Amino acid sequence: MSGYLAWIEWRRLMRTPLAWTMLGLGLCLLSWQFLGTLEIFNGMQPASRSLGLSHHLGLQLFGLAAVLILIITPILTTRSFSDAFRNGSYALLSSAPLSNITILLGKFVGILLFQLLFVLMPLILSLSLFSGTQLDVGLLLAATLGLLLLSASFTAIGLYFSVQNENPGIAAAGSYGLLLLISLLDQNTEGGSFIHWLAWPSHYLDLQLGLVHISDLAYFLLVILFFLGLALHQLDKRRIQG
Amino acid sequence: MPNLLTTTNLSRSYQGTQVVVPIDLQLMRGDILGLLGPNGAGKSTIMRMLSGDLAPSHGKIEICGYDLIAQSKHAKQQIGYLPERPPLHRDQSVDEFLSDCARLRDLTRAETRQARLLTKTRCGLEQSGRRLIRKLSKGYQQRVGLAQAIIHNPRIIILDEPTDGLDPAQIRQVRELIRELSNERGVILSSHILPEIQATCNRVVILQQGKTVYAGDITPPEQACYRLGLEQNPDEALITALPAVAATERLHTDYYRITLQVGSRPNELVQQILNQGWGVCELTPDTTSLEQLFLQATTGPSQ
Repeated sequence: MSGYLAWIEWRRLMRTPLAWTMLGLGLCLLSWQFLGTLEIFNGMQPASRSLGLSHHLGLQLFGLAAVLILIITPILTTRSFSDAFRNGSYALLSSAPLSNITILLGKFVGILLFQLLFVLMPLILSLSLFSGTQLDVGLLLAATLGLLLLSASFTAIGLYFSVQNENPGIAAAGSYGLLLLISLLDQNTEGGSFIHWLAWPSHYLDLQLGLVHISDLAYFLLVILFFLGLALHQLDKRRIQG
Repeated sequence: MPNLLTTTNLSRSYQGTQVVVPIDLQLMRGDILGLLGPNGAGKSTIMRMLSGDLAPSHGKIEICGYDLIAQSKHAKQQIGYLPERPPLHRDQSVDEFLSDCARLRDLTRAETRQARLLTKTRCGLEQSGRRLIRKLSKGYQQRVGLAQAIIHNPRIIILDEPTDGLDPAQIRQVRELIRELSNERGVILSSHILPEIQATCNRVVILQQGKTVYAGDITPPEQACYRLGLEQNPDEALITALPAVAATERLHTDYYRITLQVGSRPNELVQQILNQGWGVCELTPDTTSLEQLFLQATTGPSQ
């Protein structure tokens, strides 16, 4: 049933101008970055190229994609619960024979399906060079996996704030606040400390460079499970507290 | 016949204040139960609890033999719910929206297509299938809300102020639909409008500040009430003095509410008035029984 709900959510989203604007702008920005990266790489003396083209793409293109995902996610997650609470359409789900966990997972996967389009963009752009040069496909796939995990983590965080607030503005502000905080936590903190570990950029960087560490994967999975768990708890509480 | 819906000691409090005092409701097949009460009496809270949107603080809700909390999946299968604000996805077309609603309630693809057709006919939406919900007028949106509540053929239909915002013709259609639906099902509807309940329901629960102040049938008045318009303007005491009249109340100039003596008939009243030479210009039955009940219940000593 979660699967069907996810499909409904995705289809509803794709009916809005918002989704297409996001996709269009995203594609423009990513293409611009892609061409820019190519041009810089082309202009380098072969001797001074310490990293291959795939590394450059991984850092530049997938870096920008992560920032874009950070910007769009709260807008998407806010729609799914806050808006539904506010305009009353949530009653449709709460009175249907669906458990809270089914509803939450349905919404989560629905958003992820949309973000998958974003996640695949850098990969497709990079693969367009396939006929002209040798690419490190493993690295590109690792970076794509990283981007997918990042999207899922941001979505989980956004959903938590969305479930907590009936006011879409506050829900979005909360998500942006926390997402920016965990983006900056690795600045000015010690390398091995727990707080440093909480920040996502270092974990994502490994994947951008094609290094798949279990510890990084675990970090993302923990974030996803933790915030989905909180969101579920909040949904249950809502049914009890009203 | 087993009850479709039974609540035992159902109550609800928000942060220490009790908004619904323990209430026992029963709903049987063919019943149209009205929840009546002023705004803020707890009608919507009860409806939300019955629909599973809100968990009760205490008490139990049983739907077709299933506990709403413990066996919520089975229980909710039997419920159709239209909240105060119709829960619509405004960016979808009517067809798409209704299909989604049906599929979320476990109907198969083929069943969905059939159910959608039937429901659209029932709710007068045959021509609106391809239109976007946000482009529909308020009355039509309300119909889509109603369609959403009945598409999966539930045995209990919970309607929170279903005729709110509709024009008189639409209100009549909705009433007819509710009556038709209640043949093989049970319907609970809430309203703060007396004639609404009077026109549709066979049983009523009157609520006041979360308390049930009356529960039972809508009884016909023992004494008939009439609204009387006269050409002249006699004193109320003079009218009350007529043998057929038990009580008179002046409504506004030239209009009176007359309660007849038990056993008296309206033609006796007219005869006596004509004998006095006052001249009748209007005589209509005044169905205020529920209003009296309501006023007694909500302002009487039980408060």
